[in-house]
Amino acid sequence: MLKVENIESGYGSMQVLWGPSLEVKKGSITSLLGPNGAGKTTLLMTILGSIEPWGGKITYEDREVTHLPTHKKVDLGISLVPEGKHLFVDMSVHENLVMGAYRKEALKNIDDSLELVYSLFPVLKERDRQKAGTLSGGEQQMLTIARAIMTKPKMIMLDEPSQGLAPKLVAEVFETIQKLEAEFGLTILLVEQNVVASLNAASYVYILHEGRIKVEGNPEDIRGSADIREAYLGI
Amino acid sequence: MIFELLAGNLTHGLLLGGVYGVATMGLSLIFGVINVVNVGHGQFIMVGAFVTLILFTALGLSPVIAIPVALIIGMALGFLFFYTVMRKLIKAPELASLLATFAVGILLEELAKLIFGADFRGYYWDVGKIILPFTTIPMSKLYAFIGSIAIALFLYFWFSKTRSGTAVRSVIEDSEGARVCGVNVDWIYALSFAIGIGITVMSGVLLTMFIPVGINPYMGGAYTLKAFVIAVLGGLTSPYGAFFAGLIFGLVENGAYTLFALIPGVAPFSLTVSLAFWMLFFLLLVKPTGLLGKK
Ligand SMILES: Nc1ncnc2c1ncn2[C@@H]1O[C@H](COP(=O)(O)OP(=O)(O)O)[C@@H](O)[C@H]1O
Ligand SMILES: [Mg+2]
Repeated sequence: MLKVENIESGYGSMQVLWGPSLEVKKGSITSLLGPNGAGKTTLLMTILGSIEPWGGKITYEDREVTHLPTHKKVDLGISLVPEGKHLFVDMSVHENLVMGAYRKEALKNIDDSLELVYSLFPVLKERDRQKAGTLSGGEQQMLTIARAIMTKPKMIMLDEPSQGLAPKLVAEVFETIQKLEAEFGLTILLVEQNVVASLNAASYVYILHEGRIKVEGNPEDIRGSADIREAYLGI
Repeated sequence: MIFELLAGNLTHGLLLGGVYGVATMGLSLIFGVINVVNVGHGQFIMVGAFVTLILFTALGLSPVIAIPVALIIGMALGFLFFYTVMRKLIKAPELASLLATFAVGILLEELAKLIFGADFRGYYWDVGKIILPFTTIPMSKLYAFIGSIAIALFLYFWFSKTRSGTAVRSVIEDSEGARVCGVNVDWIYALSFAIGIGITVMSGVLLTMFIPVGINPYMGGAYTLKAFVIAVLGGLTSPYGAFFAGLIFGLVENGAYTLFALIPGVAPFSLTVSLAFWMLFFLLLVKPTGLLGKK
């Protein structure tokens, strides 16, 4: 569904990505692991286009989208749950969800989408009129995922969605992600620090290190290799 | 007697305050969306004043017609200024955009001087007056006030009820969040900048009703300072806050003039002119995050 080939990008004159390639198969969970500062966030932002790629190629559903602006990629069904949430904290929960359906196609389906996210996250319905800034950390993370679902995506990229959450909530986030894949057929690219849970959820794994893909393979193989675990994952 | 004078001046201050409010809404909008302080703000007010003067004296058109003309000219200037200069500076250090807007302000002043000369000019739009027990109000000032409220309401409606206005609010709150929702953030930057300049040029039309012979290429600087003070009062990124703060500033300025005049031996006019400085000084003492600090 998504194919990234030899992508290069960075900030100003500092290059962060040195040509990583990866592929995300339709209807699967692909996990991208790697230590802090490896360039995972930069890679997701480059895929979505909020950082302009310097070189390489991005293909989505057999169409080249390397330099397509972000809003057009959202139209094609690519969605991001960004690191650090980036919610509209002064807007209500409902307004945040409506913002998720900003694009015309998404707006047509807004009623169905709202029903869907309220059934996935009933607590958001209870807090409908509350400002997003007043929600707890866990509720805010759910709202961020819900806002991404409102864009009517085919593929969701999640950037450390369990960051800073209590263990019980972490499990809930992973359950939600697996549900999105299994029940709603969404394709998922998951960036996580939580290695164990990611290896359990994913069907294919990439490890990014200093801007390059160092290892890729099935989760069983990576779990089985003491070398890989020691060198890149610290477990 | 003093109360009559005070009531009269406060009435004029309130009417002028509406214009101040509109003049500041554009500054706040631009600061809120692209985080740039437009140091050349007042020069765009000057452009509006000259547009009004030319339409009135050369073409015999009323200031009412100058309002939409000013909006169109202002937005065109805003888009031009944005795409030629500002777009590249959004992510640059603050000093770069301060210098660029300062330079554009000077450019506008010198162009105006080249075309119109440095004389003070004015025009007289005679649409009658209202006689109150304590003061007389020219209808033109009342129309300017009504115009300012209409512009503020229009902006409020755009901001809170329309799709593009909501997109602007989302960019003010979190541009990265807006981007992942599919908002074309770069277009919102350009649009907000153009509307911000458009409103500012429109406020120049309204201002001419209060300065019978004050239209001059160098008139803008004083209004830049006032707009800064009002913007800080109003909370910097909130265009509505700016409007209400404008009303308050108009009242304080004109009330203070009356009171300064009571002090023997002082020149009330020059003291009032420095009032904006004093207000800015005390505001920054109370609010040390300063002009550039959000919230
Ligand atoms: N906005 C930015 N400006 C400059 N450098 C950045 C920025 N964001 C991240 N970096 C740098 O890019 C590198 C990769 O960061 P990032 O993509 O956030 O890594 P990860 O998400 O894997 O932790 C790091 O060295 C980081 O310091
Ligand atoms: Mg990261």
